[in-house]
Amino acid sequence: MVKRLSDLTDEVLIKEYQDSNTLEAYEILVKRYKDPLMNFVYRFVGDRDVCTDVVQETMIKFYLNKDSYRSFAKFSTWIYTIAANLAKNELKRRKRRVIFSIDNSDDEKSPQIEDKMFMAPDRAADSEIKNEIIQKALLKVKPVYREVVILRDIQDLSYEEISEITGLAIGTVKSRINRGRIQLQKLLKNIYKE
Amino acid sequence: MNELYNREEQKFSNLLSDLKKLPKIEAPDNFEFNLMTRIENKNFGQVEEERPKFNLLKFLAPSAAVLATVLLFFIFYPQKNDIPTQIANQSKAADSQSIAGNTANKNFESLFSKEEKKSSTPKREAVSQSNQNIAQNPSAVKSPAQFNQRRSVAVDDYISGANSNQNPALRGNIVNSGDQPIVDGFLVEKKTDKKTIEKFRSELDSLKKAQAKADSLKKAGK
Repeated sequence: MVKRLSDLTDEVLIKEYQDSNTLEAYEILVKRYKDPLMNFVYRFVGDRDVCTDVVQETMIKFYLNKDSYRSFAKFSTWIYTIAANLAKNELKRRKRRVIFSIDNSDDEKSPQIEDKMFMAPDRAADSEIKNEIIQKALLKVKPVYREVVILRDIQDLSYEEISEITGLAIGTVKSRINRGRIQLQKLLKNIYKE
Repeated sequence: MNELYNREEQKFSNLLSDLKKLPKIEAPDNFEFNLMTRIENKNFGQVEEERPKFNLLKFLAPSAAVLATVLLFFIFYPQKNDIPTQIANQSKAADSQSIAGNTANKNFESLFSKEEKKSSTPKREAVSQSNQNIAQNPSAVKSPAQFNQRRSVAVDDYISGANSNQNPALRGNIVNSGDQPIVDGFLVEKKTDKKTIEKFRSELDSLKKAQAKADSLKKAGK
């Protein structure tokens, strides 16, 4: 019995796309990864429109550079690496834009999470606001730590996968995750009172 | 080690559970449509081409070339500070030439003293000493230098002062033969002592007399 393309693993699909240029295989992979990548990039960049653009660029890069994928690597780590690099580039570009912007207001520089931290506890308990506060605190964490914290604690990837995506040693990944968590907890000290 | 990390994770348990509870962001409904439209239209314009990697060697090459040129200029361009050393070298050469002249005279003397059968040991020592000097300083017996046309100098202009604005370093060409290093200034020429001249003259006269005697004896023998 012939297997349907949607039942195949990522690695088999990319192989199919590489060898036969089957656009259907590409579409299936896009369908599988668009949401996880959106989530990852949104948590990293903090802007929905920018995030959509970054994921689109990721998929275009995947379409154009399909042959640069090597079969010994996991497809998920490969596509996450592309997305992470594009997201980092976007952050750098935004940083430059903020520096050279003429009407450079202070509101743009800091996401003003401090104000919301001093809300009444009953309001902070409200999950929507809490999520917003966490997202803003996440954006205040250093990008090198933020990336690994998102991959580990939001995307649920293993240390090995994160190590492959970031190109860092597993020990470094673990220590960066720990530092990122410490930073985040400090930023959210009003929520997590000991 | 794993336990340590598990303990660390427990420390952040509240934070971790909140992070996991964060709502999942989904791609907009038209995401795939837009993507496939872009692919069909080959609209990849916003995809940045990969920039060539930064190469430190390529980056530093122009500045290194300029630096090397400046260094070479300072190394090979004749400096004013070099001139005293050149003068010193020339005076050394002049000294050794005078030593060579003395040595030649002494060799000449010793040759004829053999003929006269008047050998004297102190003179021989002097000769051997000066030969050692020559061995140590070969420039002492240097052959007369060829005149270098490139270093020719219009002496009349120097006398009249017409070329006073020229490079002072070239003034050295007046005193050297052309292949010598450029010298700014004139070497103080030491005047020959009258006594020395008379001494050499008397020696030459005595040699001539001895030669004449030898000739007359030969003729008488025949």
